[in-house]
Amino acid sequence: MTPFLEIRNIRKEYGPVVAVHDVTLNVGRGEFMTFLGPSGSGKSTTLYILAGFDQPTRGDIQLEGKTILDTPSHQRNIGMVFQRYTLFPHLSVGENVAFPLKVRGWSKADITERVRKMLSLVRLEGFEDRKPAQMSGGQQQRVALARALAYDPPVLLMDEPLSALDKKLREEIQYEIRRIHQQTEVTILYVTHDQEEALRLSDRISVFSKGVIDQIGTGEELYSNPSTRFVAEFIGDSDFIPCQVLATRNGRADVALGNDLTVLDIPLHGKAEAKANVELMLRPERISLSTKAGDRALAAKVEDITFLGNNIHVAARIGDRTPVSVRVPFGHEALSGVERGTPVWLSFDADAAHVFSA
Amino acid sequence: MVSTLEPQAKIEMARKRRLLPQGMGATLPALILVLVFFVLPVVALLTRSFTEPVTGLQNYVELLGSSTYLKIFFNTFFVSALVTVISLLVGFPVAWALAIMPQRGANIVFGIVLLSMWTNLLARTYAWMVLLQRTGVINKTLMSLGIIDTPLVMVNNLVGVTVGMTYIMLPFIIIPLYGVIRKIDPMILQAAALCGATRWQAFRAVLLPLAMPGIASGALMVFVMSLGYFVTPALLGGTANMMLAELIAQFVQSLVNWGMGGAAALVLLIVTLSLYALQLRLFNAAGQGRA
Amino acid sequence: MLLNFNTLGSWKWFLIAVTTLTSAFLLLPILFIAALSFGSSQWLIFPPPSWTLKWYEALFADPRWLESAWTSFRIALIVTVLSVLIGLVASFGLVRGTFMGRGALRALFMTPMILPVVVLAVALYAFFLKVGLAGTTTGFVIAHLVVALPFSILALTGALEGFDKSIEDAAVLCGASPLKARVLITLPCISHGLFSAAIFSFLTSWDEVVLAIFMASPTLQTLPVKIWATLRQDLTPVIAAASTLLILITLILMLLAAALKKGLKA
Repeated sequence: MTPFLEIRNIRKEYGPVVAVHDVTLNVGRGEFMTFLGPSGSGKSTTLYILAGFDQPTRGDIQLEGKTILDTPSHQRNIGMVFQRYTLFPHLSVGENVAFPLKVRGWSKADITERVRKMLSLVRLEGFEDRKPAQMSGGQQQRVALARALAYDPPVLLMDEPLSALDKKLREEIQYEIRRIHQQTEVTILYVTHDQEEALRLSDRISVFSKGVIDQIGTGEELYSNPSTRFVAEFIGDSDFIPCQVLATRNGRADVALGNDLTVLDIPLHGKAEAKANVELMLRPERISLSTKAGDRALAAKVEDITFLGNNIHVAARIGDRTPVSVRVPFGHEALSGVERGTPVWLSFDADAAHVFSA
Repeated sequence: MVSTLEPQAKIEMARKRRLLPQGMGATLPALILVLVFFVLPVVALLTRSFTEPVTGLQNYVELLGSSTYLKIFFNTFFVSALVTVISLLVGFPVAWALAIMPQRGANIVFGIVLLSMWTNLLARTYAWMVLLQRTGVINKTLMSLGIIDTPLVMVNNLVGVTVGMTYIMLPFIIIPLYGVIRKIDPMILQAAALCGATRWQAFRAVLLPLAMPGIASGALMVFVMSLGYFVTPALLGGTANMMLAELIAQFVQSLVNWGMGGAAALVLLIVTLSLYALQLRLFNAAGQGRA
Repeated sequence: MLLNFNTLGSWKWFLIAVTTLTSAFLLLPILFIAALSFGSSQWLIFPPPSWTLKWYEALFADPRWLESAWTSFRIALIVTVLSVLIGLVASFGLVRGTFMGRGALRALFMTPMILPVVVLAVALYAFFLKVGLAGTTTGFVIAHLVVALPFSILALTGALEGFDKSIEDAAVLCGASPLKARVLITLPCISHGLFSAAIFSFLTSWDEVVLAIFMASPTLQTLPVKIWATLRQDLTPVIAAASTLLILITLILMLLAAALKKGLKA
């Protein structure tokens, strides 16, 4: 079966700079795919190539088995919501949503009907005659969404559409986007640098770093099984503890933490020989903390304790060197008697650990 | 892999089909206009100063060697400098007041400045010709007040030119200075006062230096504009007190001496362009200093 | 302190005095001309012995005044259209283009504005004598276009730079061809720039004297040339009448611009 949208070996060079480095990716029909990465990681450039505002240096993009690269932007029939507010300021909300239908030569009655339907989809019924300047940023982006979906595009591109909004409003509209995605079943490619937003919205996430996709997968996959240190750092919080490889086999490794603790059969990412210095990645909530010494635990000293609502964040340091964060549920008994400077022992679940070659 | 090559080839072809880099074609009509009807004629005129009546520098020897022409150069620079200084001395307090006045008053003053600037140049010059003439209102008023016995001669000399030119240049210094002073944060002067500076010290040490970029560029602009001004000096100065722009026109129109006309034009151009270059450097230096 | 009108102390009165005197200096000659145009004295005695409309009658009775005003208007109108069109296209190239030397090109386009106009007038006069454009409407239009274009480009590049290109991109993705997107979306969004480009171009041509003196022929005169020629002979009050009408036009244009600005804000 050919995938719905296929990005094959897309490469974009600006002079000597490679902005996108042979990106390959398949997206299924109706999927919500997010490009997640820091700025300059190539995620927006890839989106702009999809929109046709930029031509790739090489590679191909196919929609239902046909290349779209030789179709100019305005004939690609793709919808897009931009980072900045792009409603046409001289047109009313209704005229904005009607614009793509007008240039497609729809009849007046059909346009009126569709505009009404789209505005009700984004819950802005009755706003037809407002001017964009009379609306809040969140409302403007919802109208932009209605405009981009009005002509039933097979693919909707969204380029950090919520980055100009404050946190509360952002969460509200994330929920709206999810609802609209479920309702319309449109295929969405969404660009963001906000991992929480990506996790909340997406079916799958492509993590971009330095022009390359490091990993593609669902949020759970990325979190529980990150394939690079970058992904581990970018998705969720993580601790990295230096250690040494004892032996490797089949992509797994036994490592020694200091002189007294070894852990066996941890997934190894990247290449490492025996004796190589590597890093053990742990999730803060998978570390447990105790004031009693244990034989499979690391000795550490508490440096700070922060209350974060339902969690307590404990900053500790192993052997005067390696900082570690530990997350403990609020009210957990392990914390009784723990304060700054208290010596503690940290133990962890080897299932959740990963080794990354340094 | 064949299917990836095909669109690739099309992109390459589209790129090659474009003769000019992106956007350059759009500037062509304007570029052709400027090259054919601006650069070419000016260069041709300047060239004639070296080739007519015969090839050589004789036009420049004559222009810079004769006391008649040197007096015209002197008049031009003298009047321009005087106009610049007066405009600055008058314009700075006005711009300052405009920047901090209550809105209503500022609107009225600004309206007057704009009206004066937009009023037809000949209408304004005509007004001064009438006002300054022997039997004009100014002479009559001064005589009736007993300040003078015989009418002052204020037209057909440099007095008239200076008054008329200052009148025209004032808006050109008030408006940019107003912009500069408006941008100064009043809190800075508040801070100066809290530091114990008197008004005069705050003026000298804070306000004036902060307004300096505006003062310098405004003054240079007025000076350069005055150097090349034609209409007002011609009407208020008379033939005995010619300025450079008039001289150029006279060489061409009355004397049909294109060589000398071109030579005088080149002198004016060199002075103008070097002053603009200076302004650009000052402006850049000021910009970097703040960054 | 120094930038607060109320705590300026005695300096406040100095500033008020200079500003009042300067405003009077700037305003009185204009009022004076307007008053004289209704005065009966041929010798422009002020205050006038009696009031009359005869200078306006003389102005409108002389077909040469009307003709030159019509010539001015016609030329200014053509200049305005061409200046806005060429300036708009060039501004798109300058702002959106990616070619090398855009900055230098922009500076080149601005030079006619900063160069002494008398040099251009003399140079164009010589050039037009050679190519047979001297004393023609075409010559007039070209000369004024050269000095009006920088104002147009300045206004339009400014407006285009202030316009978010994503809005145009959005229109293209909505299915409008690039040209259609510019006409339907971008142009309305930069209408204030188009408007000021048009006003500046029109006024530049309408009020221009120096180029006009060199471009004019006995049969083709603009209003400023007619005033100039009359002024060189004598200071007849007819000029006061013509000037007053010009001031009136300026005032109307200013009020119109102010009203439009207010309308834009609302």
